Amino acid sequence: VSAALADALWVVLGAAVLGLWVRSHLGRSGPARPSVVLERLATGSLARIALVLAWMWTGWHLFAR
Amino acid sequence: VPAPVPAVALGVMAAGADAVAAATTTPFTWQADLVTALPIAALAVGALWRWPLHPRPRPAREPGPAGEAGEPGEPRRPGQPGQPGLESGASRALGAFGPWCALVLVVVAWELFEYLAPGSRGAHPTLSSMADALDRHRAAKAVVFAAWLCLGACIVRAGARDASGVATPPS
Repeated sequence: VSAALADALWVVLGAAVLGLWVRSHLGRSGPARPSVVLERLATGSLARIALVLAWMWTGWHLFAR
Repeated sequence: VPAPVPAVALGVMAAGADAVAAATTTPFTWQADLVTALPIAALAVGALWRWPLHPRPRPAREPGPAGEAGEPGEPRRPGQPGQPGLESGASRALGAFGPWCALVLVVVAWELFEYLAPGSRGAHPTLSSMADALDRHRAAKAVVFAAWLCLGACIVRAGARDASGVATPPS
């Protein structure tokens, strides 16, 4: 896979995230809003632990190590 | 119970200062470790303080797919999702959360493919390498760090609500 194709796919995935985000705010029949997804994860007994660990690891990985 | 305004203002100022400080650090230094460890510790304390020890079981009625977290007593009009007999809770949940799950799976799969692909990182960029490139600019790094802090605050706030969408007071 060439670098250009890899970059293009990342752009497509980013656009998909934005598109899903916008669609979730357009009506009641679409995907859940990000805040609802977050709340769902943060109120699950195991999911909230995974969520916190993922957040911690992301910060440590991106900014410290 | 929402946090008092002075506490919120203090938190925002502390987060802003930490983001600016983080923008001046270089990874693999004790300074970078410190400015990153501080909010990690703060989130751990915030979660222990604000979150209920045992989340309440979810009610039978799921929130609407687009996601208002379910205002108690909010009526649903006939024909809308959530009407008994029209759509099961499982299919509503699939429609609401399925697209996000699918997108996360695709991103993770592509990230792994790029990470494991032979060749230079330039030819196979990962989310980390793209973030590293962005972090070379101090202002961009401060923005990314602030976004990470904001996500952490949102996680604590979201977890402070029980399954019925009601904020849980600090214990």
